[in-house]
Amino acid sequence: MKERAIALQLRNVVKEFTKGGKTVRAVDNINLDIEEGEMVCFLGPSGCGKTTTLRMVAGFETLTSGMITIKGKNVTNVPVNKRGIGFVFQNYALFPHMSVANNIAYGLKTRHFDPVTIAKKTQEALELVGLPNVAERYPSELSGGEQQRVALARVLVMEPSLLLMDEPLSNLDAKLRIHMRTEIRHLQKKLGITCLYVTHDQSEALTVADKIVVIRKGVVQQVGSPREIYHNPANAFVADFIGQANILPLQVVKADENTVTVEPAKGHPFTTRKGSGFSGTPDAGDPAILVIRPENIDVLAASEEGIPAKVVSAIFVGSHIEYELAIEGIDKVVNASVPSKPEETVWKEGDAVRLRFDNEAALVVAG
Amino acid sequence: MADLRREKTRMIQKDPGLFWALLAIWIALGIFILYPVVRLVGMAFMPDGHFSIVSLREAFQDTYTVKALGNSLWLALAVSVTGTILGYLFALLVTRTAMPKVCKALFSAVTLLPLISPPFTSSISLSLALGPNGYLLRLFHIPDFQIYGFLGTWLSETLTYFPVAYMVISAVLETMSANLDDAAMSLGASSGRILRTVTIPLSMPGIANSFLLLFGSSLADFATPLILGGHQFPVLPTQAYLEITGMFDLHSGASLSLMLLVPTLIVFWLQRMVVGDKNYVTVTGKSGAQSAFSPLPIVAKVIISMVCALVLAFVLYLYGIILVGSFVKTWGVTNTPTMANYQYAFKFGKKAITDTLKIAFVSTILGSILGVVIGFILQRKQFIGHRLLEIGSMLNYALPGTVVGIAYIIAFNKKPFLLTSTMAILVAAYVFRYYATSIRSVMASLEQIDKTLEEASESLGASTAGTFLHVTVPLVIPAVLTGLRYLFIHSMTAISATIFLVSVRWTLLTSRILESMTELQFTQACAFSIILIIIVFIADGLMTWALHMYSVHFLKTKEATK
Repeated sequence: MKERAIALQLRNVVKEFTKGGKTVRAVDNINLDIEEGEMVCFLGPSGCGKTTTLRMVAGFETLTSGMITIKGKNVTNVPVNKRGIGFVFQNYALFPHMSVANNIAYGLKTRHFDPVTIAKKTQEALELVGLPNVAERYPSELSGGEQQRVALARVLVMEPSLLLMDEPLSNLDAKLRIHMRTEIRHLQKKLGITCLYVTHDQSEALTVADKIVVIRKGVVQQVGSPREIYHNPANAFVADFIGQANILPLQVVKADENTVTVEPAKGHPFTTRKGSGFSGTPDAGDPAILVIRPENIDVLAASEEGIPAKVVSAIFVGSHIEYELAIEGIDKVVNASVPSKPEETVWKEGDAVRLRFDNEAALVVAG
Repeated sequence: MADLRREKTRMIQKDPGLFWALLAIWIALGIFILYPVVRLVGMAFMPDGHFSIVSLREAFQDTYTVKALGNSLWLALAVSVTGTILGYLFALLVTRTAMPKVCKALFSAVTLLPLISPPFTSSISLSLALGPNGYLLRLFHIPDFQIYGFLGTWLSETLTYFPVAYMVISAVLETMSANLDDAAMSLGASSGRILRTVTIPLSMPGIANSFLLLFGSSLADFATPLILGGHQFPVLPTQAYLEITGMFDLHSGASLSLMLLVPTLIVFWLQRMVVGDKNYVTVTGKSGAQSAFSPLPIVAKVIISMVCALVLAFVLYLYGIILVGSFVKTWGVTNTPTMANYQYAFKFGKKAITDTLKIAFVSTILGSILGVVIGFILQRKQFIGHRLLEIGSMLNYALPGTVVGIAYIIAFNKKPFLLTSTMAILVAAYVFRYYATSIRSVMASLEQIDKTLEEASESLGASTAGTFLHVTVPLVIPAVLTGLRYLFIHSMTAISATIFLVSVRWTLLTSRILESMTELQFTQACAFSIILIIIVFIADGLMTWALHMYSVHFLKTKEATK
């Protein structure tokens, strides 16, 4: 596969805010390379620094230190309007005093296109986002979803080298959100535009991104494809934040280059993949965290082989049965999600069961 | 130093528009605000070129002066408290009750009257109504009533300045989101509780702002105490005015001015503490469902309506006196109708009328432009010296007009800035003093408009200047017009600073009125006042019409930005 050019580069990017005499580091030394045409999601809890980073890329915030380059050009001190980026705001930020057409034409006018071209491009942009008939309306006359599309059209019409989106779907209702994220992804692929997308919604990130950057407290936790992030989380935080996971703090029993053995219950060793975060091979007795997702746990009859546990609760949710289980010696409830079939035995509260962990899916990370 | 230089180059690189705008603003502020103040302080502390506190010590040893200081503070406090309360009541009545449109129009017109007339109009009519042999006193058979002194001055200033409070507070009340009322109501709050826990706390910036404006106005007002205070109730501005115009003593004028500065600066600082950095963004690009404000509690509504009606009736009565007075020969003596006062006014006051109009027009335009630019920069931009610019640009407003007037005659009567007897000095005095309302209303309005709208513009390639012109200005037009009105009205009617700056070449209607008053030509003063009020009323009507047309044209804007 041909190597793609780097569209955006962040080097040792730091942002500190001073409030009331106290300096807070909102973004802590972020390094990142984003390739041409990639859709990259910044994912993390609120206040983790993802939006601040996005705003620094846009030029709305100045860097405390570090460097940002767009297409190889150092833009660290370049003003927003000279960066050639497009920014989609959480609240859309449509100009309330301008019609939809004027909102979309706004950027084109700043670039002094002739009126005919402006009209043509505006109409094209509206058609691109599926709103060919709203040009003369005002933002206040549009629904949330329509406003979102207009905001998108306003940015796309500029053909930016970099599209930045700050939680663009968070003001929409759930159904529309799912629809719009597919549409955004579709448009992004169709136009081949490099896109940086901030969200705190992991399912949004998993569905739209080529690459996810998980950020916590201003520090990048992991960069990888959605599958990598989901199946090979770098640490307990990532595992917990992306999808559902049982995070079980245990001790290493033994380990080699690729596998680690832990003991979720006394006398029941479990060997699985060694995740990142260890420097070399861990020693017996080192703290470690077993990460196993609910769908990778089988709940079996007490007569079967496996880790003994007791059912705390069982909830039927249609496609699955969700169990809460107690393992002796672990004070956390373990969640398991078992596909529901007509013939499947449904265990009841208080039943003694055996659990089988999928050792190809589970993972041990440094504790 | 190197850091500063680096920061400066960075700024020029990142935002050249801001850099040049700041440079121009600082030069202007340096000449018209800082330099005069420095010269004034110099005059007080270095009467003969060497540092000395003799003038100041003398001032403090004079019991009459100390009494004047106390009186000034007491009066300003009383006026700003009662004026703000009255303004708040009026604002509540207009914005939070379903008054018939006609009533609202009448309300607006009558609250406007004290605003658009010279600040001492009500003192003229008060002395005619409640002075010795005043009509009201005879009507109610009150034999020994003393209007002269604190009571009259306080009453007159409260009536004169409460519309300022009303304007400032109603602007804040209008832009508040009714959804907050809905939220509070849905959480079980009664209308009284909503008023107490939502409406009033959210209008704190308006209240604080109004308090400051009124305190400053009252401290600076010298015409009202000159007419109504008399010897019983001396205040500092009157004393300073008399020292300079009566005794030609610039040194003690400067010393008295300095005594006024301290309380003024304290109030200024307090106001900043109260308003602080609270975030009150209620306008975003996203439009939400609009609902009506929660109604006032019945009892409150009744009481507020009664108080406001009473005040309105009294104001109307006072203006009625002026109107009648302008058409009689000698007030209280010869009550036959006559046009003689107007004939006199147009014959001998024509120059004052045209001069006033020219000066007000130029001041309004310049002041508005400067006000919008500074307001925008202060609210939206981060740069070194932000706080300094905020304080520096507002300084002349915070300073009592008398102080500014005295500082200007000291600063601009010699080269390199020889401006005395020119139009420029009058315009500068008005612009750098009254653009403060422009700055403040623009800032308040911007505070309510989500910053992302401007960021969106910049990210679409617009420069700072382009963004300002195409996005910011249209959205703050209502605030700009508020500032514009205020600037024009004050440029037409204010007197405390400019009374020192009028000359044979450039004179003002207000100083003509004061002259008539001191010459005891009450009916001529009334005629001049009516002429002035009519001019301002027409101009103000035009501006209100412009605001209305703008709203109609951008009706969708109004809906979306609310």
